[in-house]
Amino acid sequence: MSIASVLDGIQTSALAEWMRDTLPAMQVVEATHVLAAVVVLGTVLIVDLRLLGLTDSSRGFTRISRETLPLTWVAFAIAVVTGSLMFTTSAETYFANPAFRLKALALLAAGLNMALFQLTTGRGIAAWDLGSPTPRAARIAGLLSILLWASVVLLGRWIGFTKGYDFTIPPGVDFL
Amino acid sequence: MRAFAEWLSGTYVSVAIQSTFWFIRLLQATHVVTAGIACVSGIMIALRALEWHRADQPFAVVWQRFAPWLKWSMAVMVATGIAQTLGDPVREFTATSYWVKLALVLISIAGTLWLARSLRASPTAGLRSSAKLFAAALIVFWLAIVLLGRMIGYDLAIWGDLSLRT
Repeated sequence: MSIASVLDGIQTSALAEWMRDTLPAMQVVEATHVLAAVVVLGTVLIVDLRLLGLTDSSRGFTRISRETLPLTWVAFAIAVVTGSLMFTTSAETYFANPAFRLKALALLAAGLNMALFQLTTGRGIAAWDLGSPTPRAARIAGLLSILLWASVVLLGRWIGFTKGYDFTIPPGVDFL
Repeated sequence: MRAFAEWLSGTYVSVAIQSTFWFIRLLQATHVVTAGIACVSGIMIALRALEWHRADQPFAVVWQRFAPWLKWSMAVMVATGIAQTLGDPVREFTATSYWVKLALVLISIAGTLWLARSLRASPTAGLRSSAKLFAAALIVFWLAIVLLGRMIGYDLAIWGDLSLRT
């Protein structure tokens, strides 16, 4: 099974057709995707700025993560679901779009950065959680995280500039 | 309003923005990133007012932590928003989402300042039920601001007959 046939299968599915032909499904899904993505960025920023030692120095890093990351994960899950729904509508075009590919790479890199942090610097967190400066590796992970998540949002916006959506209401389409 | 928007779109500043394509993209990209910072900062303040988040910290501390981020991100959002409006006034002024978003921005800023004033004046008193309800509404408003911002482009599809473009 080739990638082309998988992409074709996705964009000719009933779900994809529903997304394309039902107003205002695509528009609501896209706006929700943007909202979820910016909430991910905003909440990640709270955690990463603490990692960089720039804010919340009187509050432990573990505590900030525990308080903030559940919101990040909820927003991320919404972004994944809405992003997947958007992808179904024009899977082939998205897949060929350089901004989309770069966004996928940035997402992957952000995930790897987080995993690497958890497996290395994060293990010795008790030593610097509160009252001590964060180690250099943790600060680098925080800075990388901010840059990667900001790139995800910016590249997401760039897909809209380069993909060439057609949101003109086709004649005869009924509103929900 | 449409006549004013059409006049505005012919002015020197508007034409200059319209003809510098990279500038419009830069404005939109900056606007969306700062929207994330503003929205989350506003939500964090409202959540603390409700005592659902950082309840162990005095409100003043949480305010000191998030208010500067809210203030500066809103300043960037307003600047990039005005520039985008000047760049395409007909699209913005004829969108219902645009006006609802502006109204919610004003309500959210005023509401957040009011909450902060109440809680800083009497930190131990807490909020009355009606104020708590308003703080919860503020969370919805901050989220709606981002949502409506993206919906400006799809006004007819979203609002149908209620769109000012009809």
